[in-house]
Amino acid sequence: MEKLIELKNISKVYTDKKNVLRNISLTINKKQVIAILGGNGTGKSTLLRIIAGVERPTSGKINYPNKTIKIGYVPERFPKNIRFSPSEYFLYMGKMSGASKDGLTKRIDNLLHRFQLEGLKNQRIMELSKGNIQKVGLIQSILLKPNLLILDEPLSGLDFEAQGELVKIIGELKQQGTTILITYHESNILESTVDNTFLIHNGNISETETTVKQSIKLLIIRNVEKSVVKDWGGIHKVVEKDQQLYLYVSAKESDVILSRVLQLKGSVEAVSTVTLDEMERTI
Amino acid sequence: MKALIKYSLHDYLRSHKYFPPISTFMILIFVYYSYTPNPIIDSYAVTALIVYVISAWLCVSVLSLDSHVQRQMMILHIGGENRYYLSKLISVWLITLILTLYAFIYPITFGMFNESVSLKIGLVSIVNHIFLSILGISIASLFSKVITENAVNSYGGLALIITISLATLGIYDVLPTYLKNIIWIIPPAVGTQPVLFNWNGENFLDLLLFPFIWMIVYSTILLYLFLRLAKKSQK
Repeated sequence: MEKLIELKNISKVYTDKKNVLRNISLTINKKQVIAILGGNGTGKSTLLRIIAGVERPTSGKINYPNKTIKIGYVPERFPKNIRFSPSEYFLYMGKMSGASKDGLTKRIDNLLHRFQLEGLKNQRIMELSKGNIQKVGLIQSILLKPNLLILDEPLSGLDFEAQGELVKIIGELKQQGTTILITYHESNILESTVDNTFLIHNGNISETETTVKQSIKLLIIRNVEKSVVKDWGGIHKVVEKDQQLYLYVSAKESDVILSRVLQLKGSVEAVSTVTLDEMERTI
Repeated sequence: MKALIKYSLHDYLRSHKYFPPISTFMILIFVYYSYTPNPIIDSYAVTALIVYVISAWLCVSVLSLDSHVQRQMMILHIGGENRYYLSKLISVWLITLILTLYAFIYPITFGMFNESVSLKIGLVSIVNHIFLSILGISIASLFSKVITENAVNSYGGLALIITISLATLGIYDVLPTYLKNIIWIIPPAVGTQPVLFNWNGENFLDLLLFPFIWMIVYSTILLYLFLRLAKKSQK
């Protein structure tokens, strides 16, 4: 696989001494869809900004073998106070990136249509709803078919149709050679599109198994020792709380684990489905 | 860069933030020329100082338009921080160019002088306006939102530096001899004033060029410093 970006020992410490990222090394290849997951405040957005080149790491190095790499970036919070209509804004952004007006107009019309923004194309962005502003953020990032597309929580605020359209566009861009880096919470819509998943925890990054991407069950049990369950397969995390054990297990294995608990004369207090983010928050 | 300059000017127009500095400028020019007739070189020397102050104000105002995230995205679109910041500064400079033309044409159009403006005087006066506008922009860039987040420090610091620079000649007179060299670090806004007041307007060679050159050298140093600091603060 051809290398697109290489991160070597990236660390980020903010002025409040908060060490957000520690010695992260990562190679991103071409034509991949990579998810970077983790709880709130774990440094996902910081890592994405560093990869986009809009934030500098405290230490470490980023190599872009292709020096003329085109990067599309959707920030977590797209600015709200833009005094232009979507059409005007995209035309300016496209021209800033060096596109010609003719090709750009066609592309803008097509994207406005796909994201159902046609009716709002002449209304100022600052007057649009949160979801529509998010669509504007997405469109500006794919105006010119980037080599690397960085999407920081692109699904938040999007309606179901727009989420589907985004998944389709991600697939198309991947086919055309774009690498996509994405973060998301509480959604499974992208899981089938993602090739690799990385998890950020305590400033460190690790590649996760595919099972972690699938839905996670939380089993709250009693009368079973932590030392007994900790080596069972399919368990991502065990937390001991108020004489209960909180088992975060992959959905596939949950039935097997439940029957084992019952065999050991343990009692099951609750079973629920949780997201990766919720699991992270309990750490 | 052309697209970002257009974007910035268009955005500035829509923001209506141009109104306070531009209206202040027009009122000051109007008030200054309320008595006639006026001496040409001296009047233009004074209106150049007005352009200097208003340019600084415009610069702080234009550089405050984009939010931090918007700036990051535009830097990605345009392909680098230097291109972004230079486009913004050029946008401000283009506005000050209009003010310069206004300051130059207004007294001629409304007959505020008792003689016609010669080509030499006109040229030197326009250059003085342009150089002072560049100086104003370069000083203000360091006090803009890009470098100084706090609005009180931004406008307060800028007002203080502009006031000190306008009072340079007076400060120089009261300073003890061993401290007089301190004057070199003050923005050279009034350096060309005595040179112009003493010029008869007939021969370019009678004009001392050093204050003009120093103004541009000083501005270049500040702009370089701004670009360095802006890159640092962005990341």
